[in-house]
Amino acid sequence: MKRADVIEIVATSTQCDDVIVATTGLISRELFERFDSERNVYIPGSMGLVSSVGLGIALCDTNHRVVIIDGDASLLMNLGSMVTIGSRRPKNLLHIVLDNGAYASCSEESSMSGTANFGLLAKDVGYKYTATVGDREALKRAILSFKGGPGFLSAITELGGRRDFRRPQKLKEIKRRFMRFMSRQPKGKI
Amino acid sequence: MKTKDRQAFNALNGKGSERADRLHRFLMESGFDFATGVPCGVLKHIIANLVGDKRVCHVPANRESEAIGLAAGAYLAGKKPLVYMQNSGLFAASNDIASLLVPYGIPALMLISYRGCEGEDAVQHLTTGHATENLIRSFNLPYEVFDGRKRDINACVSVLIGLMTERELPAILLLKRGWYV
Repeated sequence: MKRADVIEIVATSTQCDDVIVATTGLISRELFERFDSERNVYIPGSMGLVSSVGLGIALCDTNHRVVIIDGDASLLMNLGSMVTIGSRRPKNLLHIVLDNGAYASCSEESSMSGTANFGLLAKDVGYKYTATVGDREALKRAILSFKGGPGFLSAITELGGRRDFRRPQKLKEIKRRFMRFMSRQPKGKI
Repeated sequence: MKTKDRQAFNALNGKGSERADRLHRFLMESGFDFATGVPCGVLKHIIANLVGDKRVCHVPANRESEAIGLAAGAYLAGKKPLVYMQNSGLFAASNDIASLLVPYGIPALMLISYRGCEGEDAVQHLTTGHATENLIRSFNLPYEVFDGRKRDINACVSVLIGLMTERELPAILLLKRGWYV
């Protein structure tokens, strides 16, 4: 499974009222270029904080589900956030980690995720649902079967793929668009 | 430093503070309903008031960067966030303020204890203490320094709320030790 597959499946298998918060680098840039939407938040600079921003949204608006697309190196940069999520246990939060074992948005330098078991860690700190997926179908099934969180999905992915994506630049416009989206109540129950 | 000032400066173990309570009431009247941060003894009355108030969604953070992320998320979900930390944490979270709050235009009010200024007895605070206001000025963020004397704290906060709303930026209130005495 490639990064492109994960981005596509998250964007197309989630509900239209779900929020997507994407981490720094190619994950945000690919989501922005291929699946830009008012429900998306991109974290272009402060690497690691995607799970904290997602948790803040999930705790403050329980009418929306929040899907976080994290990376392994990004998660390692803010590992304490998993403990915070586990302590607050938001039902409406799904934390997906795209684990390719590298700083893929740089020059694919190795991260230290190879010796870490994120799924076990997630379970241990209080996530209610955890799974590790290695192909498109399993990822899709895991997203569709997600009922109550906090959920944690480790998506094992290969390196490589397209890199020439545009960058989200007009962040204040993205903020206003997102806040308008959040002020509308979702149609269906979560 | 005069003896009276020295006593105020070192008053880390005082009980409740009338000034902190007045500040809290003003923050509530101003609509702040989310708080996050990392504790500092200098801010203990502020934190106790936030923790004890059901109108506030309080989410403690493990480190200051995490607090910046939580505050950003809360704001995007329609809340009005407060962030508290020591100025040492301001340095730890400086890139997150610069690369998340500033470009997104997120007006969080940051209540930051100001260690390392005149009279400081802890050597680890001296370098950051010296650089604190320079850092904030170089980021071009609105800020005020409050040391418990001369000015009214709620007037300082009121100015900051006006600036952060108008400029869509985080604003910082630096609180020196003994600010609440």
